[in-house]
Amino acid sequence: MNGKLPLVLAAALAAAGCTKGMKTESKAEAKRADVEFPHSTHVDQGIACEDCHAGLEKSVSLKQRHLPPKEKCAECHDGYSGPTPESIPPARLSFSHAAHLPKITAKEKCAVCHAKLPEIGEPRFVPPMEACTGCHKHQLDYNQGRCRPCHVDMKGLEPAKYYTHAGDWTRLHGPLARPSAESCAQCHDQTYCAECHAAATTAARPSIIYPERVERDFIHRGDYVSRHMVEASADPASCKRCHGVKFCEACHEQQNLVGVLGGPRDFHPTGWANDRASGHFHGDAARRDASACAGCHDQGASQNLCVACHQVGGPVARSPHPPSWKSRHDAADIGKNAMCRACHRG
Amino acid sequence: MRQTTSLLAAALILAAGSVRADTVEVSSTTLLTLGDQTRGGVTGSEPELVTAAPLYEILNVSARGVTNPLAKDLQLVVSTWGSYELADRRWDNGTGSNLTGDVTTAYAAGRLFGDVLTFRVGRAHVMTGVARMLQLDGGEAILTVPLGPLGLRLSGYGGVPVSQRFTTRSGVRSWNPVAGDLAYGGRASVSYALAGRAAGRGIDAGVSINRVEDDGDPVREEAGVDVRIQPNGTINLFGLGAYSLYDERFSEGTVALSWAATRKVHVTADWRYTAPDLFLSRSSILSVFSAERRNDYGGGVRYELGRGLDIGVDYHLAVEPGEGEDYFGHAAEVGLEWRRGATSAGGEIVFLDAFENGYVGGRVFGKQELGRIFLTADVLTHVFREEVNGEDLSVTGALTAGVKLAKGFSAVVSGRAGMTPFLEQTFDVMAKLAYNQTYRIREVR
Repeated sequence: MNGKLPLVLAAALAAAGCTKGMKTESKAEAKRADVEFPHSTHVDQGIACEDCHAGLEKSVSLKQRHLPPKEKCAECHDGYSGPTPESIPPARLSFSHAAHLPKITAKEKCAVCHAKLPEIGEPRFVPPMEACTGCHKHQLDYNQGRCRPCHVDMKGLEPAKYYTHAGDWTRLHGPLARPSAESCAQCHDQTYCAECHAAATTAARPSIIYPERVERDFIHRGDYVSRHMVEASADPASCKRCHGVKFCEACHEQQNLVGVLGGPRDFHPTGWANDRASGHFHGDAARRDASACAGCHDQGASQNLCVACHQVGGPVARSPHPPSWKSRHDAADIGKNAMCRACHRG
Repeated sequence: MRQTTSLLAAALILAAGSVRADTVEVSSTTLLTLGDQTRGGVTGSEPELVTAAPLYEILNVSARGVTNPLAKDLQLVVSTWGSYELADRRWDNGTGSNLTGDVTTAYAAGRLFGDVLTFRVGRAHVMTGVARMLQLDGGEAILTVPLGPLGLRLSGYGGVPVSQRFTTRSGVRSWNPVAGDLAYGGRASVSYALAGRAAGRGIDAGVSINRVEDDGDPVREEAGVDVRIQPNGTINLFGLGAYSLYDERFSEGTVALSWAATRKVHVTADWRYTAPDLFLSRSSILSVFSAERRNDYGGGVRYELGRGLDIGVDYHLAVEPGEGEDYFGHAAEVGLEWRRGATSAGGEIVFLDAFENGYVGGRVFGKQELGRIFLTADVLTHVFREEVNGEDLSVTGALTAGVKLAKGFSAVVSGRAGMTPFLEQTFDVMAKLAYNQTYRIREVR
């Protein structure tokens, strides 16, 4: 990594440099306080929304809160000396009341989106997304992963109703991401995906780094060393999605699982080499699950153990290819792939 | 190359002085693990135990909404780590050195020409279509074209598949899962939005292609179709079919249904087909010996029982090649999870029956928060159908305690003990100091 290390460190420094002058915000600080204002009491007396939330019709950003000052309360409540309404962290949305209010024809304009007003002690009520999709056709935006025009930054948000990751999500998320990866990227940085999927470059598997996250459905949890061959044989394709052959070899060599047949650490069953009647013949096993063989025997065609016997003109005269092989490959393929020429040397 | 790298590094450092971002998330984890690992020694001797004690520093930085004159919503994401072995080298060190490190993810992403072109450049995964979570040092570009009620999306990617610690990418000598030194491909898709209040209703259908080479030889050549159909707010139907152009047969297929039947009940069903030998590199000599097929059929139900209690049941029938004829295997899981306030707990029973072996397993776990302190416990056990290394039982348990310190720092210690088929007694400890902080400069625009 020698030459690239400065680049990596510089990139990290550049990204960290973006923090200059910013405020930090913990999750506790971001939590919205319960409401301390009885909306219903005021609405029932015929007080219009804009009487207190003055200037909202001209507001082009949620950054402008338009909360009434203490003096506004004192107009009706003589001698009012209570607290000024607390300024709350705004939703991370781009929204213009000025652009929306003129287009609403209903008499109770605000109620079209603010269907429920919060009361004392209740959690703050934010208009649900149906309030937007009732008028705007955003389905195409979702299909194309285009949430940003309205949502400023969706990282760290949890979906309340739509897109919740319910059911057997660990099993389903992969196939769902194939057509919808850009939608996933609206909320998830790839660092999140890489915790499990970047097996070649990650520091350690996630259950080692985060033992405290017992509720997470981490891959390879616990004593996976003892289970890996069982789960690999049950779903051989799954290993090859993340692990190269050398990854397997790195451990197998250290465990001295590369010894000769019949050696003290040889785990091949009796009859493996040449006894088809034993039920453990290596050829039948390779037909069933060649990936398992690759865990140790995939050092390249020139060094491969299989080539010694199965090459054209070698001691085993029978073709090792499966019956359907010839219908899909012909002599021209030999020229396309150096691997073929390991056996077809003529 | 070295000069280019230095220039890029200098440019990035200069940029740090002038660039600002809406949101910057930083996490740093200093982690020490200590435990025994087995080594085989030389042929004819018993395995020996060595102690591995790697000390890690893991750094993640994500800056979003970075102000710049070119791209909208520019993101800079870096996830990197370094480690030093205080004792014997761990088996997955990946190099012959005690000091090592890697870049897990590092990319810049943003949008150009309004929302028309999305780009991602650097070390990242390509997830769409038949790319199959391909981790590349390269780039991906996605062109989005609205066509009335339809949306057309064209994407293309190219780069060098990633291996460990910047070592060789070639399949034989690396951890690179795709075993190649060049990969490229793309996807074309059409979206059709269905009107209605439920967000996301519509159809997205795509075709994709992927090719990976190793020194010019084909490693993978696949084409595929994928689709997602969401007719209403509760049903999601999606699927994929992948076809190996080199071997002229299907490598992978999935059809899945996700249905929120009621507010409390979620039903899933899926069928999955794989040809595992086609997941081997076409440049591997082992790829010529097999043409196997496997099918999984099954589904599950999740039910919110109330009061924070959820139950889930899943079952899949696996049809795999057996001795002479197909073998019908089974995979089942029952899980219970409870969350209330500062307490959460759960349990699982798993059953796996495959041709070669199988197991019955169980897990119980719990977490309790006590103000700034939290405690977790996690016990996992498996009983194997056929003995593994002469044993049929594996039990491990972990106890973890942590405290949330000031200003985003937290400290965690964990101990794991157990008996496994490969270790009569095993004990590992882990200690870490983590820093997680989000810096926001503005929340709205």
